[in-house]
Amino acid sequence: MPNALELRGISKSFPGVRANDDVNLEVRRGDIHAIVGENGAGKTTLMSILYGLTPPDSGEIVVDGRTVRFGSALDAIAAGLGMVHQAFKLFPTLTVAENVVFRNEPRTGIFLDRDQAAERVRALGSEYGLMVDPRARIEDLPVGLLQRVEILKALYRDAQVLILDEPTAVLTPQERDNLFVTLRRLKDRGRTVIFITHKLGEVMAVSDRVTVLRGGRAVAHLDTASTSPTEVSRLMTGRNVDLDSRPPPSELGSPVLGVTDLTVSDDDGLVRVDAVSLQVRSGEILGVAAVAGNGQHELVEAICGLRPRDGGSIVVGGKEVAAAEMALTRESGLAYIPEDRHRVGTAAGGEVWANLVMGFQRLKDFRRGRFMRRAEVDEHARRIIADYDVRVAGPAVAAATLSGGNLQKLVVGREMSHAAPLLVAEEPTRGVDVGAIEFLHRQLIEYRNQGGGILLLSAELWELLALSSRIVVMYEGRIVAELDPAETDEAELGFFMTGGRR
Amino acid sequence: MFDQLFDGALLESVFRALIPILLAAIGGMVCERAGVFQISLEGMMLVGAFAAVAGSYLGQSALLGVTIAMGVTGLFSLILGYGAVTRRGDPIVLGVAVNLLALGLTSFLLPQLFGVRGVFQHPRVDGLDRVAIPFLSDLPLIGQALFNLTIPGYLALLAIPLIWLFLFRTPIGLRLRGVGERPASAETLGVSSTQYKYAAVVFSGLACGLAGAQLALGNVVQFAENMSSGRGWIAVVAVMLGRAHPAGVLGASALFGFAEGLGFRLQGNGLPVQITEALPYVVTLIALALARKRFHRILELTAA
Amino acid sequence: MMSHSSSDRLSVVLSIVAALLIGAAVIALSGTNPLSAYGEMVDGALTGSGLRNTTARMIPIVGMGLALSIPFRAGVINLGGEGQMVLGGLAGTLCAIYLPGPPPLVMVASIVAGAVAGAFWAFLAAAGQIWLKLPILISSLLLAYPARAITSYLVRFPFADPTVTSSSTVPVPDANRIPKLPLFGGVSASLVLLALFLVAIAIFNQRTVAGYETRMTGLNSRFSRYGGVGVDRQVVWVMLASGAIAGVIGTHLVVGETYRFLDGDLVASGFAWTGLLVTLLASHRPLPLLAAGAFFSALQIGGLAMQRNVNVPWQIALVVQAVVIVVLAGRFVLSWRQREQPDEIPMAEGELTVTGEV
Repeated sequence: MPNALELRGISKSFPGVRANDDVNLEVRRGDIHAIVGENGAGKTTLMSILYGLTPPDSGEIVVDGRTVRFGSALDAIAAGLGMVHQAFKLFPTLTVAENVVFRNEPRTGIFLDRDQAAERVRALGSEYGLMVDPRARIEDLPVGLLQRVEILKALYRDAQVLILDEPTAVLTPQERDNLFVTLRRLKDRGRTVIFITHKLGEVMAVSDRVTVLRGGRAVAHLDTASTSPTEVSRLMTGRNVDLDSRPPPSELGSPVLGVTDLTVSDDDGLVRVDAVSLQVRSGEILGVAAVAGNGQHELVEAICGLRPRDGGSIVVGGKEVAAAEMALTRESGLAYIPEDRHRVGTAAGGEVWANLVMGFQRLKDFRRGRFMRRAEVDEHARRIIADYDVRVAGPAVAAATLSGGNLQKLVVGREMSHAAPLLVAEEPTRGVDVGAIEFLHRQLIEYRNQGGGILLLSAELWELLALSSRIVVMYEGRIVAELDPAETDEAELGFFMTGGRR
Repeated sequence: MFDQLFDGALLESVFRALIPILLAAIGGMVCERAGVFQISLEGMMLVGAFAAVAGSYLGQSALLGVTIAMGVTGLFSLILGYGAVTRRGDPIVLGVAVNLLALGLTSFLLPQLFGVRGVFQHPRVDGLDRVAIPFLSDLPLIGQALFNLTIPGYLALLAIPLIWLFLFRTPIGLRLRGVGERPASAETLGVSSTQYKYAAVVFSGLACGLAGAQLALGNVVQFAENMSSGRGWIAVVAVMLGRAHPAGVLGASALFGFAEGLGFRLQGNGLPVQITEALPYVVTLIALALARKRFHRILELTAA
Repeated sequence: MMSHSSSDRLSVVLSIVAALLIGAAVIALSGTNPLSAYGEMVDGALTGSGLRNTTARMIPIVGMGLALSIPFRAGVINLGGEGQMVLGGLAGTLCAIYLPGPPPLVMVASIVAGAVAGAFWAFLAAAGQIWLKLPILISSLLLAYPARAITSYLVRFPFADPTVTSSSTVPVPDANRIPKLPLFGGVSASLVLLALFLVAIAIFNQRTVAGYETRMTGLNSRFSRYGGVGVDRQVVWVMLASGAIAGVIGTHLVVGETYRFLDGDLVASGFAWTGLLVTLLASHRPLPLLAAGAFFSALQIGGLAMQRNVNVPWQIALVVQAVVIVVLAGRFVLSWRQREQPDEIPMAEGELTVTGEV
């Protein structure tokens, strides 16, 4: 029986980057095949080639023993491939059924047969254990269910090979376990699963075989049963990385953030933060663990003065912050690494210096009366570029030309450069490669050791466990647990994050 | 005073005012659903009015005028289509520039083709006849307003349920909405957003052609410089207020039609024309303010 | 300031060339030799009284361009320049006519009155966006219609000059008029005011913290807000400044130019819209704006000469103006360069856009 999918000698270059370099891959029918690699190893490019979104420069794709050429996503679907993207490709205001049948709609006459669509979704759902209400709107569903809809989309199109790109990034540990059950059920029914990830634990838990990508090349093909996490990790990075070592605690000082009974609503008036109290002292990192959408982002926005609060008090650096104004909280001694560096943390159209002075442009160092001291601003920019290893020619270059990792270093460098007593760091390492993660982690620890207090939000539980002095868990707008990272693990965090009580 | 104001004749003038706005708003609504920010309705309506009068003058037939108007605005809409969809230019800048191009072009061609300035009226220009539906047009109060309309008038009213069916009950309508909401998602399923966006833009062109024809051959029989005078912008607002839903857009257009019709009537009752002419715009502003909706999309587009 | 690459400049030049070619085609189609028509245009704009008229027209065109450039640069789209200009114009005119006092003071007071009235009208739009979440784009534009209605009513009834048939105010007394400068045979002294605005805006944009902050808001308003910039307050300020300059320009058009506020006169000229195109062409930067304004003024004055001499309607100038922006904004030129780029790449800087994030 031919392999379900083969790639032979796939290469792809972008200006300045060789994203895939002679990649070979054999995926056996009915296997769960993991593809692992660091950010930038070429996983995403390989997947978009597989899915017909990017044509390769050379090499061939063989599905079921037949060489295929994909001109578009449609060709890939027709060949029996189904992709579950990391960022879901769903239509928020359409229903589940509408999303699933999109472009392959059942009809009566010229009209859409909505009952049949719903029925098909229900049938597929019960066959694979992917129950979702077909008439629910996507925007009303939690993230875990959205992934089910994506898988249903692929199954509805009769995909024989399902490709999942970082499928667990948005899931709680429990949802992740459910996903694994689904994947095994797919395998049992003869479907093939390709599973892209950088999380070694998941590779070991669910896959049959592993392909390791590094620097655009496939450096190893392994049977999961006969390898170890250490070996895969070494192959991924080309060296031994130890991200999990916990730093020794540093001395605690006075409180830099005090939040008391804080209540915050979202744009639609729903209460997202419900009477939360917490404290961060200098010299400690307080981690916040929560499933996306449980109020942690609103909490941060309120602390930073970007969102008005309904009640409660916020004290930053010993000073009560009266009104919701970012300028005031910054003056009181707060720096903020936002979760979205593109939409919030930078202005792509501005120069590097303009991006590096933002938030501090009204400090005496950078202005004389109403005028800006451009020489000092440039000097400041050069200092951050050097200290944080931002790879850029100089302060006058447009920020749009920086890569994701460099942009993140720019944001982190800017926020850390003023030694604000309180640093709020939201997903500080999202989307950057392992080398940069190490660097950024060292910076955060150093900041703490220098006497800064850090409020750390991260969807990566291992990151919270590795860095935090204490961890609080938020669920539905409330703090439901406070844990010592030395005495807890991902499973326990996940238990509290999904509403578990003790 | 009020029982004098509200009668069949008022309703008639409400519909007169409503139909061009509704037609343009229908075009804008489909564009909005397809994810094209369409603010060149005003200019396309003006071009449509000019082409309708020119076509009717040349062929001495109102229907020929309507056809030519739709053809010309269909082509004219491709400027925005190409610029905003294919070239990915800023739809706001393009829309404003297209409006000004329409104003410049029509006021250039008016003296050039017809040798007059300001207003062109001619016996050869054939106006659109009203087509009375037997019996129904004799109904009290609504008969004349609803069942004695021009062909574009009927088309406008019929379009509302038809477009509702199209958008919410057909596969193509589903794809159009999908494209408008998340073009990248549609692309991964093999639906090209470009085609749908082009189709929507051209549709809005045709609708504005009809709107212009109704304005210049139905409401009056003449072309006047800048005769769309803000109606296209009101249509843009109608799409916003109606949340790009056929029923909502009809309701919003009716509100403005009512304001204009009422203004027209109050004028007869002695209010200065300068004040009553501003009424639809004031009503529009008040309606927007009362709606207190957060117009996220446009606010985000304008970034402030 | 933003750096502007040579290819951006090239696309501006190519857009102008393309627009002139399209204009030539339209002229040719209407049966006139485009070369002789354009010849008349150049002659009419730059020789004899043409130079004075072109310079005089630059005051409202560059002035409105500057007025609108301030909010545009901060990502605020003020489409209501016309209403702000007209109301400011009427307020200034009424002051110049009816306010007692020593003439130079009255003149200054009328300019201030124009600024205040224009700023007030612009403030309404800003307030609508901040408190009612109405996009300024829409509210500013819609507000222009009541502004026109109000002025129209006022000059036709309470302040009408009964001795003339046209609907207008009485003339501004000689002493209260803005004087002419001895330049090209008499250009209004408002030119000095214009130069002051230009220099002030250039310094604000390039050198001040607030100028930096407004530019960042234009590029990405969420970034500005994140950086502690009071974006709402900024919206109010840029709209106030914009409306004030528009009001001054409106005042100049009567008190420094026609001396009577004639109903519909200020609107018919379309200066607000030409100013809008000018600031778009210049990417909202003051010096290029001066150049673009000079070009469009020459186009219009030349167009009027062309109409007199070869009987081609002057509105061809409006067509050419709009086509320049259509071609530039639609990126109809330089396509070979952009096809090379993948879709996902963020917008290149200096591109013709009002929106920081699209």
